[in-house]
Amino acid sequence: MRSRACKPPALVRGAAPTPLVVQQDLPLEPVGDSLGGQPVQVARFASRASHVPSGCSLPQPTPAEHLWFCVWLPQLPLEANRSSDAATAIVEEQHGIHRILLADAEASAAGVRPKQAANAALALLPALQLEERSLLREQQALEGLATWLERFSSFVSIAEHDVLVLEIAGSARLFGGLQALRQKMSKGLRELGLTAALAIAPTPLAATWIARAGRRACIRDDTNLAAVLRKLPLACMDWPANLCEALSGMGVMTVGDCLRLPREGFTRRFGAEYLLQLDRALGHLPDPRNSWRAPERFCVDYEMTEEQTDRELLLNICRELLLSHEQFLLARQLGTQRVCFSFFHLKGPATELRLGCARAERSMRRWFELLGIRFEQLVLPGPVIAVRLRSGMAQPLQAESGALCFHGKPGAKIRRFSITELAERLIARIGDQSVQAASMVAEHRPDYAWRSQSLLADWSGTTLATPKQFVQRPLWMLPEPALLPADSGYPVHQGCRLRLIDGPERLETGWWDEAGISRDYYTATGTDGRRLWVFRNRNRTSSWYLHGYFG
Amino acid sequence: MSSSLDKILANPRVWRGRDQAGRQAGLASGYPELDRHLPGGGWPRESLTEVLTEHYGIGELRLLMPALARLSTETSPQDFTEPGWIAWVAPPFQPYPPALQQCGIDLSRMLIVRPRDDHEILWSAEQALSSGTCAAVLLWPSMLDDQASRRLQLAAEKGRSWAIAFRPLAARRQSSAAALRLELHASGQGTRVHILKSRGGRPAVINPLI
Repeated sequence: MRSRACKPPALVRGAAPTPLVVQQDLPLEPVGDSLGGQPVQVARFASRASHVPSGCSLPQPTPAEHLWFCVWLPQLPLEANRSSDAATAIVEEQHGIHRILLADAEASAAGVRPKQAANAALALLPALQLEERSLLREQQALEGLATWLERFSSFVSIAEHDVLVLEIAGSARLFGGLQALRQKMSKGLRELGLTAALAIAPTPLAATWIARAGRRACIRDDTNLAAVLRKLPLACMDWPANLCEALSGMGVMTVGDCLRLPREGFTRRFGAEYLLQLDRALGHLPDPRNSWRAPERFCVDYEMTEEQTDRELLLNICRELLLSHEQFLLARQLGTQRVCFSFFHLKGPATELRLGCARAERSMRRWFELLGIRFEQLVLPGPVIAVRLRSGMAQPLQAESGALCFHGKPGAKIRRFSITELAERLIARIGDQSVQAASMVAEHRPDYAWRSQSLLADWSGTTLATPKQFVQRPLWMLPEPALLPADSGYPVHQGCRLRLIDGPERLETGWWDEAGISRDYYTATGTDGRRLWVFRNRNRTSSWYLHGYFG
Repeated sequence: MSSSLDKILANPRVWRGRDQAGRQAGLASGYPELDRHLPGGGWPRESLTEVLTEHYGIGELRLLMPALARLSTETSPQDFTEPGWIAWVAPPFQPYPPALQQCGIDLSRMLIVRPRDDHEILWSAEQALSSGTCAAVLLWPSMLDDQASRRLQLAAEKGRSWAIAFRPLAARRQSSAAALRLELHASGQGTRVHILKSRGGRPAVINPLI
């Protein structure tokens, strides 16, 4: 049974049909209220596709390596556009007249039908709420759903304006089988408030057609596919109306009837495109799809119905946002180094709060901890109406290896948090520029012989191997050399003449750029016992500068 | 006679210096003269040390450098952890990396923090001390009252870190929870070190040390 009918047609043509076997591991689901279809006994037939060799179908089906899950959202225009619970109908402008596109149950009960003029509908039900169709809102709802569906599969594709397909052969086992996966998905869709028809088939197009026909079928094998497809009505293929009319005029009512038509004639009359669709649905031709990729940046708003000043509440909202942020990043195995909270006020510009981390991070706990440090100090100029969380560039997450811990060993270090965590806490409280690391630069000019670097930019702290200097350098450096007054050729510091005890060390370098120096450096002591590092500029006549202290 | 002495000694208000001494091995300072006067034969680890100076640049850093260099490069044989970090909180000038490297400090394990106000200086120092990753935290607070010094002392014990606070000479009259208080006096001949307070030790004057 499992040999997936890869035999040439000549061998199968004369074979008697094998008995029908109902799959044991796939119990039939009761028909849900929201779905209008009839249950289909999912059965496994021997290949009967080859019984009609002259038809549209090619005789060699390929084995099913993929399983496609289709989510069709028939009520999407209504569900995406409606704004209240009152009886609603969606209208669309056609030739200058607003016509009903879709009406909800309440409106339908009052007699509102699709294609009715809006005025006629209002006459039937004066309380009817009419909403203009917004394709943008539908697209947003669809993308939101695609993002949500990414938890079930790594391959989610937006097939049409109301159809999503997922590849689930790879993830079905993870979720405990197709049946469990399907139940999880339909439960989630119900919670999202979406009416959906679901179907599983080896090709994406077949799954779409089956879902649109309202069958709750679950076809795992190519061998069953053709049989199920044959019974589907023409309407499920969503072909243009004139084409469907022409076909039904010829007495072609089902997909099976289509397949029976001669291929050449079909192409000549209706175009190759539709024949290709049939072949793709049956799996005779590959049907590549584009995988939907959610935006890599997280940006979510939390809007409130009224302005709030309660900081505890705001902090809880931030926490919630961070939690969904974590889930967003978790689904992609990513982390981010920066997040930004914006607190919107009705009057005035939004208050922004930026947080940074030394390493890419996604954990809600970690971000919330940093937020807590900063939020204490945050001054909100007014009550807040909405909070937005925007994350920075997402990066692949580097897992941090924990230190091997020796329990119960006396004298073992108590490590509460790592240096990165410490730096993040400090940066969160006192700012990025205030926490720095230092490294060496191979350079003779004292001002350029080192570099301070932000801890967030590059954590590794690379220290260049510099040639060993034999002349002692001072431990304290002034940010800028300070001009010293001179007394008969000697520098004076705080009112007393300095004694030069070491030097000179001549540094004459940097002619290749703007900051060239020509200096004689000396070690000097004052009467107060301080040792100073002073230099005389050789470019100008005997001007002395203080550059550092030998702390 | 002895029973009445015992009675006095049993009073919890009587503090006996000898019990405290030698409880913990000190960190060799690199100056044998100083080590001899310090209980434990070196700087007291895991506690607060105060260095009082009239102005900066008289050798207060050179006094610490040998010990800091050892802290920043040595791994402890006990727990196989990496050497600790050295944090500089609110230094009055720029600690000059080439000179630090000459002294043997590992620059890749150095953190310079420049908080904006005194409250943040103490907060940052406390965070660094209690984190358990910093082997030493040097701080230059503009003021440090008794309560703040107690907090730093506790944080140093908690994170097993060495806190060094640099303060002006005027602070000598203030009480402090520091385990060791030093005063540096510079003169033309060199810098003298006064041990003002030493837990488990005795006050002393060490003539020109640096």
